[in-house]
Amino acid sequence: MGYEKRIFICDTDGGNIKPFEDALNANLRAEGLVEKVQIVRLADAGIYRKGVMVKVTPENIVYIDVKMDDIKKIVDSTVKMGQAAPDIAQKPPEKQLKIVLRNCGNVDPERIEDYVALDGYKALSKVLESMNPDQVIDEMKKSGLRGRGGGGYPTGLKWSFARKVQDDQKFIICNGDEGDPGAYMDRSVLEGDPHSVLEGMTIGGYAIGASKGFLYIRAEYPLAVARVEKAIEQARASGFLGKNIFGSGFDFDLEVRLGAGAFVCGEETALIASVEGKRGCPRPRPPFPAVKGLWNKPTIINNVETLANIPYIFLNGAENFAKIGTESSRGTKVFAVTGKVKHSGLVEVPMGTTLREIVFDIGGGILDDKKIKAVQTGGPSGGVIPENFLDTPVDYDNLGKLGSIMGSGGMIVMDEGDCVVDISKFYLGFCVDESCGKCAPCRIGGKQMLTILEKISQGKGELSDLDNLRKISFAMKKASLCGLGQTASNPVLSTLRYFELDYKQHVVDKRCFQGKCKDLFVFTIIQDKCKKCSLCQRNCPVDAISGSREEGFLIDQKKCTRCGRCFEACKFDAISR
Amino acid sequence: MQKLDEIKNKFQQTQKGSWIKVGMSTCGIAAGADVVMAALKDEARKNNVSVRIEQCGCAGMCFAEPLVEVFVEGVPQVTYGAVKEDTARAIIQKHVMGKEILNDYIYKMQ
Ligand SMILES: Cc1cc2nc3c(=O)[nH]c(=O)nc-3n(C[C@H](O)[C@H](O)[C@H](O)COP(=O)(O)O)c2cc1C
Repeated sequence: MGYEKRIFICDTDGGNIKPFEDALNANLRAEGLVEKVQIVRLADAGIYRKGVMVKVTPENIVYIDVKMDDIKKIVDSTVKMGQAAPDIAQKPPEKQLKIVLRNCGNVDPERIEDYVALDGYKALSKVLESMNPDQVIDEMKKSGLRGRGGGGYPTGLKWSFARKVQDDQKFIICNGDEGDPGAYMDRSVLEGDPHSVLEGMTIGGYAIGASKGFLYIRAEYPLAVARVEKAIEQARASGFLGKNIFGSGFDFDLEVRLGAGAFVCGEETALIASVEGKRGCPRPRPPFPAVKGLWNKPTIINNVETLANIPYIFLNGAENFAKIGTESSRGTKVFAVTGKVKHSGLVEVPMGTTLREIVFDIGGGILDDKKIKAVQTGGPSGGVIPENFLDTPVDYDNLGKLGSIMGSGGMIVMDEGDCVVDISKFYLGFCVDESCGKCAPCRIGGKQMLTILEKISQGKGELSDLDNLRKISFAMKKASLCGLGQTASNPVLSTLRYFELDYKQHVVDKRCFQGKCKDLFVFTIIQDKCKKCSLCQRNCPVDAISGSREEGFLIDQKKCTRCGRCFEACKFDAISR
Repeated sequence: MQKLDEIKNKFQQTQKGSWIKVGMSTCGIAAGADVVMAALKDEARKNNVSVRIEQCGCAGMCFAEPLVEVFVEGVPQVTYGAVKEDTARAIIQKHVMGKEILNDYIYKMQ
């Protein structure tokens, strides 16, 4: 007890650290240091594929790719002398940069003092005490912040439209609908740091001249709703919301409105209808909500993440914010990295970080070390980006050029075992379910495309179906009323663009080599490779495998449900698909 | 500005000494953070340990939830991941009371 130093060790390749630990321990013992130094094995070092990592505290010196021979050098220089050992590689710089998530996992979201202690509401006080609304909008324009809800529209510019309209009442709305499958960035911000969103909204309200704001949050996010409501109460009690905020004469208040979880209600005009208590259907634009929005009053709608950036911009200056990211896309982006990735979770990176860095350096690579097939971004409005484009720096324009979109930040990693027809069917099916039915291109086009995809996945597809998919997509893009219909075909189009061969295997060869479309593959035992271990038989949940360890095994195709357990279980690759 | 400083100063008076933070967002709770929170509080009470046990939001490492971050004077600040009830109790006994860091559960360090 009472250690003077600690040495943290971890094999970032996921191997066994024990031999290294024993060698290190032996060295410390020889030097008479065991009582003074604690060796601690980490579960995860946050860096991957960099060999053995060693960190010595309190000096906080981190080495990577450490070899057995380096142990003596580290003990001699760093442990004994407190100095960095020469010739051993040190930790590469951090890839993530947390602006939106700056307080998430740090503050107690239910205690306003935590937020204030980290300079919360300081940006608001600065704005109200020293800037007029036009200056606020100029600062926003200078920051280059673009909307994080999917469209990427410059926030400062949008605010200036609502500012210019003369009206007795204006509104600002926070879009917390977040309906994309696989995305949960906004939920985490609302749950983890609600005050940053409230502060951003209040600054926005001041800039455009609104005295009232609504947070539209889906009812499936009960914890987010509860924390936001608590935050509003605390902000009111502290005088950061309500009348005469910071003695500036500016009045502003907030209310929560619950959404029932319809994807289309994330679209701004449908969202407005829903807040008004009407059925959530979009309407044609113009007039844009910034001119005629909620109850026909000028209304600004911003995404949760967009708003959470705003306090940071005013605290640190627009110029400094604009230095982060790329020419066309400033700042950072939060992604919810899920799917076949080792370390799923939220990552926040400067714009311009490559997909490869996100998936491999931060996400730790693909589960079971399989090959990556593609990354899906933008949810049902986005597309897939195949392996050979993984080095593309992520920003609004680059993803658009590749036929996907930045979207709100869902990022689903797919491996070689994922079937693009199956994936397209999933996303399109989602849009067909969620279509409000108001306009024909979306309602009918989506359904027809889904029917074709189902046909293809059942082995009844023809080559002309691929052209038909493209044609209907084109019509939906041109003629749909809102973004839902205009973008619903993106997952199909982008998979057709990069993986046409996979489609043709389904259509021409009637085969699904990924083993996802149940009618297009069978499992058979390759008798030459079979070692008669019976693992497949024991794993079959429907008793479709007959035979014995003496005679070998056979799969009864009538009973087989194509679940794939035998395929996964076989250690000798003796089952073909 | 003045008002903010008042709140800040008053709050910082209460924030001295050791603390533990448990990630209590949807992802954490789904993985069992509420059980971990209860176990930490229970173990601290049983052993009469003075340590502030607080909640926080999602730190992004959802694969390693429940996450428990620990700061004890004189010990490097670390975040334990995939914490279960028994690990939670060990955190109080070994890390907080014994100033000895637990092996194999650390997912992040300051
Ligand atoms: C079908 C559909 C769903 C949408 N869902 C969301 C959503 O969940 N959250 C969101 O912020 N924006 C969503 N949007 C985009 C909004 O219409 C709007 O552009 C955005 O909230 C504007 O905020 P921003 O400028 O801060 O990005 C959706 C758009 C469409 C067409």
